[in-house]
Formats: sequence, structure tokens, C-alpha cells
Amino acid sequence: MESSVAVIGDIDTVTGFQLGGLKEGRIVKTNQEAEKALDELIENKISVIIITEKIAEKISEYIEKRIGSDVLPMIIEIPDKSGSSERDSDPMGELIKRVIGVEMVK
Amino acid sequence: MAQETIEGINPTRMELLKLKDREKLAVKGHSLLKEKRDALIKEFFDILDRVKGSRGNAESTLKEAYENLTAAQIIMGDLAVQKAALSVNQSVEVDFDSRSIMGVSVPLIDSKIDSRTLVDRGYSFADTSVRLDEAARKFEESISLIIELGEIEKTIYLLAAEIESTKRRVNALEHIMIPRIQNTVKSIEMRLEEMERENFVRLKMIKSSMSAEET
Repeated sequence: MESSVAVIGDIDTVTGFQLGGLKEGRIVKTNQEAEKALDELIENKISVIIITEKIAEKISEYIEKRIGSDVLPMIIEIPDKSGSSERDSDPMGELIKRVIGVEMVK
Repeated sequence: MAQETIEGINPTRMELLKLKDREKLAVKGHSLLKEKRDALIKEFFDILDRVKGSRGNAESTLKEAYENLTAAQIIMGDLAVQKAALSVNQSVEVDFDSRSIMGVSVPLIDSKIDSRTLVDRGYSFADTSVRLDEAARKFEESISLIIELGEIEKTIYLLAAEIESTKRRVNALEHIMIPRIQNTVKSIEMRLEEMERENFVRLKMIKSSMSAEET
């Protein structure tokens, strides 16, 4: 199945990814814009959506609602120009702990 | 909890047989689910090994890409960089497929990002800086890394969800369903034995009263 990749982010991120050859880029500033962009991209059957961590954090509930446990589209969070945001919890570590059980804390 | 039984079952032989069949089925299902859970966890660990380096790798490449981009923006100006970016040819193509791990369908992405030569990129050299070329190259690199990372992370999330639900079912069978059926079987057996004894006593009584009448 052929499909495409899109990016949602601030202007620098989008410019950068365009430079890397990714044409579908949405520059968003507000949460509403981000949600709208996400809706459009899902509607256009984009299968991989790259989104900056900052924006993803703001609309995380909305993403959860739209995607849930579907395989497609795939949302990938990346750090933006200011570096990766310090999160209070490591979602991957938490997940592993929950799945494997406390006895396998890594 | 230890004495919990299934409500509303008559202590008859028929019900006992049915329950014993149910117990067999539950035990079989339990062992199958347990195997499934173990296989999933094994798979999970295999993928976990892959994800460890992957995120750090992608993020550091991306960081370098941003640095180069910023440098290009400083040298050429924001607008010129944007102009160049808009004229870049599309390079990213992904083939999307899915494979199945123990019944969980996970994405399998084949990204075809050729590292391109300067000419293929499509912006003019005349008014661009070498930093821009570097930035473009780094971004190409990071895109393929990011897509790979996304595939792995998504797989992990899907597997984790499946492991959790399988675990819950294994536990429900092990700690609730099977003991409950076993308790019910036991109580029916005891009830039946009790009835047999009652019958036996009754027969004895009748016999003794009959022999008392005869004499």
C-alpha cells in the first residue's frame, strides 16, 4: 500500500522537513489549528504523521480520541528546534513497567 | 472467595458432568492463553532491544539537522531558506504493510528515501549556502530514522495493549473462573454423596421397620 508522510509543527520544523523532501507540511500555531490539521491529514489518508512534541503534548487528548489503538495513521512525536522537552515521565518506561510487571524494572 | 461457587446450579449428575466439561475447557484455554502471553512477551523484549538506541539516534540526528538549518537561516535569511525548501522535490516514499505477531497486526514500513545528490534536490545553488545542503542531507537522514522509530514504537504500543488484555484474561481464568468451577464441582459432589447417604439410611430404616412388623 503506497502512502505518504506529513509533518505538523512550527515553521522551522516544517521548513526543515520540506528541505528533507517531505512536501506535506502544516504550520500550526494554536491548538485549534493543530487539531484541524490533524483532521485533514487523517481524512487525506496520510499514514505517517510526524508531529512536534510540544504540539502533541497540547493536543494529546485529541490525538488519543482520534487514533486510539488503530494501526493507521501512525503518529510520531519528535523534538522541535529547542530540543527534546523534558517530560516528567518516560511513557515508554512506564508502559514496559505496566506490561511486564514490577519485577522487571529497567 | 475461596468458597465462591457458581450460583443457580442444581446439584444433579447432569450439571456435574457439564461443569466438569467446562472445567476442562477452562484449563485448556488458560494454558493456551498463558502460552500466548509468554510468546508475546518474548516478542516484546526482542523489539525493546531495537527501540533502545533508535530514539536517541533519531533525536541526535535531528538535532544536528536543526543546527544546520539554523546556520543556513542565519547565513541566507529565513525567507531564502523557505524558498529553497519549497522547491525541493518530494523524496519520501513509504510502503505500508502490516505483519501479524500472534494475531496482533503491526505496521511494517518500508521507506524508500534515497540519499540524493545535490542536483536531485531541486533548489538552485547560486543563492544557497553549503549549510543548507548539509541541513537537507541531515533532514533526509532523520526522516528515515524517524519513520523507522515510529514503526517500532507503534509496534511496542500495540503489543503492550495485547499483552495487557491477554494477561487480564489469563488472570481472570486462573484466579476466578477455574476456582469457581472447581468449588462448584466439589459442592455438587458433596451434595450428591450426602443424598446417597440419606437414601441409604432411609432404606435401612424401612428395612428395619419392615422386619419389626414381620415379627
